[in-house]
Amino acid sequence: MENSTENTNPVYKDKNYGQYRELLFTYDEKGNFQKSVGYHGESDRVVLQQAWDLFSERIEEARQKVLAGKASPIVYYMEKILADPMSLSMMAGVSLLKIKLHCRPVFFKRLSDKTMAKYAEAFNITIDQLKKVE
Amino acid sequence: MDSKQIMINYTHRQAGHCESGATSNLFNFYGQKMSEPMAFGIGTGIYFSYLPFLKLQFAPMMSFRNLPNTVFHRSMKYLGVDATVIKKFSNVKESMEALDRNLEKGIPTGLQVGVFNLTFFPPEYRMHYNMHNMVVFGKEGNHYHVSDTVMEHPQTITYDDLVRVRWAKGPFAPKGKMYWINNVPKELDIRTGVQLGIKKSVYEMTKVPFWLIGIKGMRVMARDIKKWPKKHGNQKAAFYLGQILRMAEDFGTGGAGFRYIFGSFLKESGETFNNKEILDAADLMGRTANKWREFTYLGARNCKNRSSQPVEDYGTLGDMMMEIAGMEEQVFKQIGKVKI
Repeated sequence: MENSTENTNPVYKDKNYGQYRELLFTYDEKGNFQKSVGYHGESDRVVLQQAWDLFSERIEEARQKVLAGKASPIVYYMEKILADPMSLSMMAGVSLLKIKLHCRPVFFKRLSDKTMAKYAEAFNITIDQLKKVE
Repeated sequence: MDSKQIMINYTHRQAGHCESGATSNLFNFYGQKMSEPMAFGIGTGIYFSYLPFLKLQFAPMMSFRNLPNTVFHRSMKYLGVDATVIKKFSNVKESMEALDRNLEKGIPTGLQVGVFNLTFFPPEYRMHYNMHNMVVFGKEGNHYHVSDTVMEHPQTITYDDLVRVRWAKGPFAPKGKMYWINNVPKELDIRTGVQLGIKKSVYEMTKVPFWLIGIKGMRVMARDIKKWPKKHGNQKAAFYLGQILRMAEDFGTGGAGFRYIFGSFLKESGETFNNKEILDAADLMGRTANKWREFTYLGARNCKNRSSQPVEDYGTLGDMMMEIAGMEEQVFKQIGKVKI
Protein backbone atom coordinates (compact mmCIF):
# COMPACT_ATOMS: atom_id res chain seq x y z
CA MET A 1 0.00 0.00 0.00
CA GLU A 2 1.25 3.45 -0.88
CA ASN A 3 2.28 5.59 2.07
CA SER A 4 3.16 8.75 0.23
CA THR A 5 4.61 11.62 2.21
CA GLU A 6 2.89 14.12 -0.05
CA ASN A 7 -0.68 14.74 1.02
CA THR A 8 -2.89 15.25 -1.97
CA ASN A 9 -6.06 14.48 0.00
CA PRO A 10 -7.83 12.79 -2.91
CA VAL A 11 -10.70 11.10 -1.12
CA TYR A 12 -11.91 13.24 1.78
CA LYS A 13 -14.65 15.71 0.98
CA ASP A 14 -13.86 17.94 3.96
CA LYS A 15 -10.66 19.91 3.43
CA ASN A 16 -9.71 19.75 7.12
CA TYR A 17 -9.46 15.99 6.98
CA GLY A 18 -6.23 14.13 6.42
CA GLN A 19 -3.89 16.98 7.33
CA TYR A 20 -1.91 15.13 10.01
CA ARG A 21 0.96 12.74 9.44
CA GLU A 22 0.99 9.49 11.36
CA LEU A 23 3.42 6.71 12.10
CA LEU A 24 2.87 3.76 9.79
CA PHE A 25 4.44 0.33 9.84
CA THR A 26 5.27 -1.96 6.94
CA TYR A 27 6.87 -5.38 6.53
CA ASP A 28 9.12 -5.87 3.52
CA GLU A 29 10.27 -9.03 1.74
CA LYS A 30 13.68 -9.03 3.41
CA GLY A 31 12.03 -9.56 6.78
CA ASN A 32 12.36 -6.09 8.26
CA PHE A 33 9.67 -4.08 9.97
CA GLN A 34 9.87 -0.52 8.70
CA LYS A 35 8.53 2.59 10.34
CA SER A 36 7.63 5.65 8.34
CA VAL A 37 5.84 8.91 9.01
CA GLY A 38 3.25 9.65 6.35
CA TYR A 39 -0.35 9.79 5.30
CA HIS A 40 -2.78 6.93 5.03
CA GLY A 41 -3.24 5.18 1.71
CA GLU A 42 -6.29 5.50 -0.46
CA SER A 43 -8.19 2.44 0.73
CA ASP A 44 -8.00 3.57 4.37
CA ARG A 45 -9.42 6.92 3.38
CA VAL A 46 -12.26 5.37 1.43
CA VAL A 47 -13.59 3.49 4.44
CA LEU A 48 -13.33 6.54 6.69
CA GLN A 49 -15.08 8.79 4.18
CA GLN A 50 -17.79 6.15 3.81
CA ALA A 51 -18.49 6.32 7.54
CA TRP A 52 -18.68 10.13 7.53
CA ASP A 53 -21.00 10.00 4.52
CA LEU A 54 -23.35 7.76 6.44
CA PHE A 55 -23.25 10.00 9.52
CA SER A 56 -24.05 13.15 7.53
CA GLU A 57 -26.87 11.33 5.75
CA ARG A 58 -28.34 10.36 9.10
CA ILE A 59 -28.03 13.91 10.43
CA GLU A 60 -29.77 15.35 7.37
CA GLU A 61 -32.55 12.75 7.63
CA ALA A 62 -33.09 13.58 11.29
CA ARG A 63 -33.16 17.32 10.50
CA GLN A 64 -35.88 16.84 7.89
CA LYS A 65 -37.89 14.76 10.34
CA VAL A 66 -37.68 17.45 13.02
CA LEU A 67 -38.60 20.24 10.60
CA ALA A 68 -41.62 18.22 9.47
CA GLY A 69 -42.70 17.95 13.10
CA LYS A 70 -42.41 14.18 13.28
CA ALA A 71 -39.64 14.10 15.87
CA SER A 72 -38.25 16.32 18.61
CA PRO A 73 -34.94 18.25 18.32
CA ILE A 74 -33.34 15.65 20.58
CA VAL A 75 -33.25 13.25 17.63
CA TYR A 76 -31.33 15.76 15.53
CA TYR A 77 -28.79 16.66 18.21
CA MET A 78 -28.34 13.00 19.09
CA GLU A 79 -27.40 12.19 15.51
CA LYS A 80 -25.19 15.26 15.41
CA ILE A 81 -22.96 13.96 18.21
CA LEU A 82 -22.98 10.48 16.60
CA ALA A 83 -24.82 8.89 19.49
CA ASP A 84 -27.57 6.31 19.63
CA PRO A 85 -30.25 6.26 22.38
CA MET A 86 -28.18 3.80 24.41
CA SER A 87 -25.01 5.90 24.53
CA LEU A 88 -27.02 9.11 24.94
CA SER A 89 -28.63 7.65 28.06
CA MET A 90 -25.12 7.09 29.43
CA MET A 91 -24.00 10.60 28.49
CA ALA A 92 -27.01 12.53 29.74
CA GLY A 93 -27.97 10.32 32.66
CA VAL A 94 -31.56 9.86 31.49
CA SER A 95 -33.05 6.39 31.25
CA LEU A 96 -33.40 4.73 27.85
CA LEU A 97 -37.19 4.52 28.02
CA LYS A 98 -37.50 8.21 28.82
CA ILE A 99 -35.21 9.13 25.93
CA LYS A 100 -37.38 7.19 23.54
CA LEU A 101 -40.42 9.11 24.81
CA HIS A 102 -38.63 12.46 24.62
CA CYS A 103 -37.88 11.84 20.96
CA ARG A 104 -41.56 12.53 20.26
CA PRO A 105 -42.61 16.19 20.05
CA VAL A 106 -45.56 15.72 22.42
CA PHE A 107 -43.41 14.61 25.32
CA PHE A 108 -40.61 17.03 24.45
CA LYS A 109 -42.93 20.01 25.01
CA ARG A 110 -43.64 18.87 28.56
CA LEU A 111 -39.97 18.56 29.59
CA SER A 112 -38.86 20.28 32.77
CA ASP A 113 -35.91 22.70 32.80
CA LYS A 114 -33.90 20.25 34.85
CA THR A 115 -34.08 17.50 32.24
CA MET A 116 -33.51 20.04 29.48
CA ALA A 117 -30.30 21.11 31.20
CA LYS A 118 -29.16 17.49 31.32
CA TYR A 119 -29.63 17.11 27.58
CA ALA A 120 -28.07 20.50 26.85
CA GLU A 121 -24.96 19.56 28.79
CA ALA A 122 -24.61 16.26 26.95
CA PHE A 123 -24.95 18.02 23.57
CA ASN A 124 -22.65 20.88 24.67
CA ILE A 125 -25.19 23.59 23.73
CA THR A 126 -27.54 26.00 25.55
CA ILE A 127 -31.17 25.25 26.39
CA ASP A 128 -32.43 27.85 23.90
CA GLN A 129 -30.50 26.16 21.14
CA LEU A 130 -31.92 22.80 22.14
CA LYS A 131 -35.50 24.00 21.67
CA LYS A 132 -35.14 24.58 17.94
CA VAL A 133 -33.29 23.25 14.93
CA GLU A 134 -31.60 25.62 12.55
CA MET B 1 -5.43 29.37 39.40
CA ASP B 2 -1.76 30.28 39.66
CA SER B 3 0.13 31.34 36.59
CA LYS B 4 3.26 29.44 37.50
CA GLN B 5 5.03 27.83 34.61
CA ILE B 6 5.98 24.17 34.89
CA MET B 7 7.75 22.34 32.10
CA ILE B 8 9.15 18.85 32.53
CA ASN B 9 11.96 17.84 30.22
CA TYR B 10 9.97 15.08 28.51
CA THR B 11 10.77 13.76 25.05
CA HIS B 12 7.80 13.29 22.79
CA ARG B 13 8.03 10.56 20.17
CA GLN B 14 5.33 9.50 17.78
CA ALA B 15 4.05 5.94 18.11
CA GLY B 16 1.61 3.58 16.49
CA HIS B 17 -0.41 2.68 19.56
CA CYS B 18 -1.44 5.35 22.05
CA GLU B 19 -0.93 3.47 25.29
CA SER B 20 2.26 1.56 24.53
CA GLY B 21 3.67 4.76 23.06
CA ALA B 22 2.94 6.59 26.31
CA THR B 23 4.42 3.72 28.33
CA SER B 24 7.63 3.55 26.33
CA ASN B 25 8.01 7.34 26.44
CA LEU B 26 7.60 7.26 30.23
CA PHE B 27 10.25 4.52 30.49
CA ASN B 28 12.61 6.61 28.41
CA PHE B 29 11.98 9.60 30.65
CA TYR B 30 13.24 7.56 33.62
CA GLY B 31 16.39 6.59 31.75
CA GLN B 32 15.49 3.09 30.57
CA LYS B 33 15.77 2.39 26.86
CA MET B 34 12.47 0.82 25.84
CA SER B 35 11.13 0.78 22.32
CA GLU B 36 7.43 1.02 21.63
CA PRO B 37 7.00 -2.57 20.31
CA MET B 38 8.77 -3.90 23.41
CA ALA B 39 6.35 -2.11 25.74
CA PHE B 40 3.47 -3.26 23.56
CA GLY B 41 4.53 -6.92 23.67
CA ILE B 42 5.34 -7.08 27.36
CA GLY B 43 2.08 -5.34 28.19
CA THR B 44 0.17 -7.83 25.94
CA GLY B 45 -1.41 -5.18 23.75
CA ILE B 46 -2.40 -7.70 21.09
CA TYR B 47 -5.99 -8.79 21.30
CA PHE B 48 -9.08 -9.51 19.33
CA SER B 49 -12.72 -9.55 20.27
CA TYR B 50 -15.88 -9.45 18.21
CA LEU B 51 -19.08 -8.40 19.92
CA PRO B 52 -21.88 -8.28 17.33
CA PHE B 53 -24.61 -7.71 19.91
CA LEU B 54 -23.06 -4.37 20.91
CA LYS B 55 -23.17 -1.54 18.42
CA LEU B 56 -20.45 1.10 18.11
CA GLN B 57 -21.29 3.95 15.69
CA PHE B 58 -24.18 1.84 14.31
CA ALA B 59 -22.07 -1.20 13.37
CA PRO B 60 -21.02 -4.36 15.27
CA MET B 61 -18.30 -3.71 17.78
CA MET B 62 -14.89 -5.30 17.46
CA SER B 63 -11.71 -4.48 19.23
CA PHE B 64 -8.10 -4.99 18.28
CA ARG B 65 -6.82 -3.75 21.62
CA ASN B 66 -7.07 -4.77 25.21
CA LEU B 67 -9.11 -2.97 27.86
CA PRO B 68 -7.80 0.49 28.74
CA ASN B 69 -4.73 0.62 30.96
CA THR B 70 -3.84 -3.05 30.45
CA VAL B 71 -0.62 -2.29 28.58
CA PHE B 72 0.67 0.12 31.21
CA HIS B 73 -0.39 -1.96 34.19
CA ARG B 74 0.93 -5.29 32.89
CA SER B 75 4.24 -3.96 31.64
CA MET B 76 4.85 -2.39 35.06
CA LYS B 77 3.86 -5.58 36.86
CA TYR B 78 5.92 -7.92 34.68
CA LEU B 79 9.03 -5.75 34.86
CA GLY B 80 8.70 -5.09 38.59
CA VAL B 81 8.39 -1.31 38.37
CA ASP B 82 6.78 0.75 41.12
CA ALA B 83 3.86 2.61 39.54
CA THR B 84 0.55 4.09 40.64
CA VAL B 85 -2.80 3.90 38.88
CA ILE B 86 -5.78 5.87 40.15
CA LYS B 87 -8.79 4.20 38.59
CA LYS B 88 -11.35 6.89 39.19
CA PHE B 89 -11.94 10.14 41.02
CA SER B 90 -15.10 11.14 42.80
CA ASN B 91 -15.23 14.66 41.36
CA VAL B 92 -13.71 16.92 38.74
CA LYS B 93 -11.88 19.33 41.06
CA GLU B 94 -10.07 16.57 42.92
CA SER B 95 -8.86 14.99 39.68
CA MET B 96 -7.40 18.25 38.37
CA GLU B 97 -5.74 19.06 41.71
CA ALA B 98 -4.11 15.63 41.75
CA LEU B 99 -2.75 16.30 38.26
CA ASP B 100 -1.38 19.72 39.31
CA ARG B 101 0.30 18.24 42.37
CA ASN B 102 2.00 15.64 40.19
CA LEU B 103 3.25 18.25 37.76
CA GLU B 104 4.66 20.32 40.60
CA LYS B 105 6.62 17.30 41.78
CA GLY B 106 7.95 16.87 38.25
CA ILE B 107 6.17 13.64 37.39
CA PRO B 108 4.84 13.29 33.82
CA THR B 109 1.37 11.81 34.22
CA GLY B 110 -0.62 9.61 31.85
CA LEU B 111 -4.34 10.15 31.39
CA GLN B 112 -7.15 8.19 29.87
CA VAL B 113 -9.32 10.48 27.76
CA GLY B 114 -12.23 10.47 25.34
CA VAL B 115 -11.49 11.46 21.77
CA PHE B 116 -14.72 13.19 20.71
CA ASN B 117 -13.99 16.59 22.28
CA LEU B 118 -10.21 16.54 21.99
CA THR B 119 -9.47 19.85 20.29
CA PHE B 120 -6.14 19.13 18.65
CA PHE B 121 -7.05 15.67 17.38
CA PRO B 122 -7.41 15.07 13.61
CA PRO B 123 -11.08 15.83 12.88
CA GLU B 124 -11.65 12.71 10.80
CA TYR B 125 -11.06 10.49 13.84
CA ARG B 126 -13.31 12.35 16.29
CA MET B 127 -15.79 9.66 17.20
CA HIS B 128 -16.93 8.35 20.55
CA TYR B 129 -13.91 6.43 21.64
CA ASN B 130 -13.01 6.68 25.31
CA MET B 131 -9.87 4.57 25.51
CA HIS B 132 -7.31 7.04 24.23
CA ASN B 133 -4.18 7.79 26.26
CA MET B 134 -1.90 10.79 26.51
CA VAL B 135 0.75 12.18 28.83
CA VAL B 136 0.65 15.62 30.46
CA PHE B 137 4.11 17.07 31.07
CA GLY B 138 3.73 20.80 31.60
CA LYS B 139 1.48 23.65 32.60
CA GLU B 140 1.52 27.30 31.64
CA GLY B 141 -1.23 29.48 33.09
CA ASN B 142 -4.46 28.05 31.79
CA HIS B 143 -2.80 25.72 29.29
CA TYR B 144 -1.47 22.20 29.68
CA HIS B 145 1.30 20.74 27.56
CA VAL B 146 0.31 17.33 26.28
CA SER B 147 2.19 14.57 24.49
CA ASP B 148 -0.24 12.59 22.35
CA THR B 149 1.56 9.84 20.44
CA VAL B 150 -0.85 9.97 17.50
CA MET B 151 0.34 13.50 16.76
CA GLU B 152 3.72 14.37 15.30
CA HIS B 153 4.49 17.13 17.84
CA PRO B 154 3.52 17.95 21.45
CA GLN B 155 0.26 19.88 21.79
CA THR B 156 -1.41 22.28 24.22
CA ILE B 157 -4.92 22.11 25.64
CA THR B 158 -6.90 24.47 27.87
CA TYR B 159 -8.09 23.62 31.39
CA ASP B 160 -11.78 23.43 30.42
CA ASP B 161 -11.14 21.21 27.42
CA LEU B 162 -8.97 18.92 29.49
CA VAL B 163 -11.76 18.55 32.05
CA ARG B 164 -14.17 17.75 29.26
CA VAL B 165 -12.09 14.97 27.77
CA ARG B 166 -11.07 13.51 31.11
CA TRP B 167 -14.70 13.29 32.15
CA ALA B 168 -16.06 12.13 28.79
CA LYS B 169 -19.18 10.03 29.20
CA GLY B 170 -20.47 6.94 27.48
CA PRO B 171 -19.16 3.37 27.32
CA PHE B 172 -15.76 2.88 29.02
CA ALA B 173 -15.92 6.35 30.57
CA PRO B 174 -12.45 7.38 31.82
CA LYS B 175 -13.73 9.07 35.01
CA GLY B 176 -10.46 10.98 35.34
CA LYS B 177 -8.21 7.92 35.35
CA MET B 178 -4.52 8.74 35.67
CA TYR B 179 -1.28 6.83 36.07
CA TRP B 180 2.41 7.48 36.59
CA ILE B 181 5.71 5.78 37.40
CA ASN B 182 7.16 6.25 40.88
CA ASN B 183 10.46 4.52 40.68
CA VAL B 184 12.31 2.47 38.07
CA PRO B 185 14.96 -0.08 39.14
CA LYS B 186 18.40 0.35 37.56
CA GLU B 187 18.41 -3.06 35.87
CA LEU B 188 15.18 -4.18 34.23
CA ASP B 189 14.62 -7.91 33.92
CA ILE B 190 13.57 -7.87 30.27
CA ARG B 191 13.83 -11.65 29.90
CA THR B 192 11.18 -12.39 32.53
CA GLY B 193 9.02 -9.60 31.17
CA VAL B 194 9.10 -11.02 27.65
CA GLN B 195 8.39 -14.54 28.93
CA LEU B 196 5.37 -13.41 30.94
CA GLY B 197 4.13 -11.14 28.16
CA ILE B 198 4.28 -13.88 25.54
CA LYS B 199 2.59 -16.36 27.88
CA LYS B 200 -0.29 -13.98 28.57
CA SER B 201 -0.68 -13.04 24.88
CA VAL B 202 -0.87 -16.71 23.91
CA TYR B 203 -3.49 -17.28 26.58
CA GLU B 204 -5.59 -14.31 25.51
CA MET B 205 -5.47 -15.07 21.81
CA THR B 206 -6.00 -18.84 21.85
CA LYS B 207 -7.13 -20.18 25.19
CA VAL B 208 -9.78 -17.88 26.65
CA PRO B 209 -12.87 -20.09 27.12
CA PHE B 210 -15.25 -17.73 25.32
CA TRP B 211 -16.12 -18.04 21.64
CA LEU B 212 -15.87 -14.37 20.68
CA ILE B 213 -12.40 -13.59 21.99
CA GLY B 214 -9.10 -14.25 20.22
CA ILE B 215 -8.71 -16.53 17.20
CA LYS B 216 -12.15 -18.06 17.83
CA GLY B 217 -13.71 -14.61 17.56
CA MET B 218 -11.94 -14.06 14.23
CA ARG B 219 -13.43 -17.29 12.92
CA VAL B 220 -16.93 -16.28 14.06
CA MET B 221 -16.48 -12.93 12.33
CA ALA B 222 -15.30 -14.65 9.13
CA ARG B 223 -18.49 -16.71 9.08
CA ASP B 224 -20.61 -13.62 9.74
CA ILE B 225 -19.00 -11.66 6.89
CA LYS B 226 -20.32 -14.24 4.44
CA LYS B 227 -23.85 -13.87 5.80
CA TRP B 228 -24.02 -10.06 5.86
CA PRO B 229 -25.15 -9.29 2.26
CA LYS B 230 -28.07 -11.71 2.48
CA LYS B 231 -29.04 -10.71 5.99
CA HIS B 232 -28.72 -6.91 5.84
CA GLY B 233 -28.47 -5.98 2.14
CA ASN B 234 -25.47 -4.64 0.25
CA GLN B 235 -25.46 -1.16 1.71
CA LYS B 236 -25.38 -2.21 5.33
CA ALA B 237 -22.94 -5.03 4.64
CA ALA B 238 -20.51 -2.53 3.10
CA PHE B 239 -20.79 -0.32 6.17
CA TYR B 240 -20.26 -3.23 8.55
CA LEU B 241 -17.21 -4.29 6.53
CA GLY B 242 -16.01 -0.69 6.68
CA GLN B 243 -16.15 -0.85 10.47
CA ILE B 244 -13.70 -3.77 10.52
CA LEU B 245 -11.35 -1.96 8.18
CA ARG B 246 -11.58 1.32 10.08
CA MET B 247 -10.87 -0.39 13.36
CA ALA B 248 -7.94 -2.31 11.88
CA GLU B 249 -6.28 0.46 9.88
CA ASP B 250 -7.34 3.94 10.76
CA PHE B 251 -7.71 4.41 14.49
CA GLY B 252 -4.14 5.09 15.51
CA THR B 253 -2.95 1.56 15.00
CA GLY B 254 0.16 1.82 12.87
CA GLY B 255 -1.65 -0.55 10.54
CA ALA B 256 -3.25 -3.98 10.44
CA GLY B 257 -4.70 -3.94 13.93
CA PHE B 258 -1.32 -3.74 15.75
CA ARG B 259 -0.03 -6.89 14.02
CA TYR B 260 3.01 -5.02 12.70
CA ILE B 261 3.89 -3.77 16.17
CA PHE B 262 3.57 -7.23 17.67
CA GLY B 263 5.69 -8.64 14.85
CA SER B 264 8.46 -6.17 15.51
CA PHE B 265 8.27 -7.00 19.22
CA LEU B 266 8.86 -10.66 18.35
CA LYS B 267 11.71 -9.72 16.05
CA GLU B 268 13.36 -7.50 18.63
CA SER B 269 13.12 -10.06 21.42
CA GLY B 270 14.30 -12.82 19.08
CA GLU B 271 17.38 -10.79 18.23
CA THR B 272 18.05 -9.88 21.86
CA PHE B 273 17.91 -13.46 23.12
CA ASN B 274 19.22 -15.06 19.91
CA ASN B 275 16.23 -17.31 19.47
CA LYS B 276 15.61 -18.74 16.00
CA GLU B 277 12.06 -19.93 16.67
CA ILE B 278 10.83 -16.51 17.75
CA LEU B 279 12.44 -14.95 14.67
CA ASP B 280 10.52 -17.41 12.50
CA ALA B 281 7.31 -16.50 14.31
CA ALA B 282 8.09 -12.81 13.73
CA ASP B 283 8.42 -13.48 10.01
CA LEU B 284 5.06 -15.25 9.97
CA MET B 285 3.46 -12.41 11.94
CA GLY B 286 4.80 -9.92 9.41
CA ARG B 287 3.30 -11.90 6.56
CA THR B 288 -0.01 -12.12 8.46
CA ALA B 289 0.02 -8.35 8.83
CA ASN B 290 0.60 -7.96 5.10
CA LYS B 291 -2.38 -10.25 4.57
CA TRP B 292 -4.47 -7.90 6.72
CA ARG B 293 -3.38 -5.04 4.45
CA GLU B 294 -4.47 -7.04 1.43
CA PHE B 295 -7.82 -7.66 3.12
CA THR B 296 -8.23 -3.91 3.61
CA TYR B 297 -7.33 -3.25 0.03
CA LEU B 298 -9.93 -5.70 -1.29
CA GLY B 299 -12.57 -4.71 1.24
CA ALA B 300 -12.26 -1.00 0.49
CA ARG B 301 -13.28 -1.65 -3.11
CA ASN B 302 -16.64 -2.84 -1.79
CA CYS B 303 -16.99 0.24 0.35
CA LYS B 304 -16.41 2.67 -2.50
CA ASN B 305 -19.79 2.13 -4.12
CA ARG B 306 -22.05 1.04 -1.35
CA SER B 307 -25.38 0.74 -3.11
CA SER B 308 -24.26 -1.06 -6.24
CA GLN B 309 -23.39 -4.72 -6.59
CA PRO B 310 -20.27 -5.56 -4.53
CA VAL B 311 -17.03 -5.73 -6.51
CA GLU B 312 -15.52 -8.42 -4.32
CA ASP B 313 -17.51 -11.40 -3.23
CA TYR B 314 -18.18 -11.49 0.51
CA GLY B 315 -17.52 -15.23 0.43
CA THR B 316 -13.95 -14.56 -0.73
CA LEU B 317 -13.43 -11.98 2.00
CA GLY B 318 -14.75 -14.42 4.61
CA ASP B 319 -12.38 -17.11 3.38
CA MET B 320 -9.50 -14.64 3.54
CA MET B 321 -10.38 -13.77 7.14
CA MET B 322 -10.44 -17.51 7.91
CA GLU B 323 -6.95 -17.84 6.42
CA ILE B 324 -5.67 -14.92 8.50
CA ALA B 325 -7.10 -16.57 11.62
CA GLY B 326 -5.29 -19.80 10.72
CA MET B 327 -1.99 -17.98 10.24
CA GLU B 328 -2.29 -16.17 13.55
CA GLU B 329 -3.12 -19.38 15.35
CA GLN B 330 0.07 -20.88 13.95
CA VAL B 331 2.09 -17.92 15.27
CA PHE B 332 0.70 -18.22 18.77
CA LYS B 333 1.11 -22.00 18.80
CA GLN B 334 4.74 -21.55 17.84
CA ILE B 335 5.61 -18.91 20.42
CA GLY B 336 3.64 -20.77 23.09
CA LYS B 337 6.15 -23.64 22.96
CA VAL B 338 9.31 -21.53 22.98
CA LYS B 339 11.46 -21.33 26.10
CA ILE B 340 13.64 -18.24 26.30
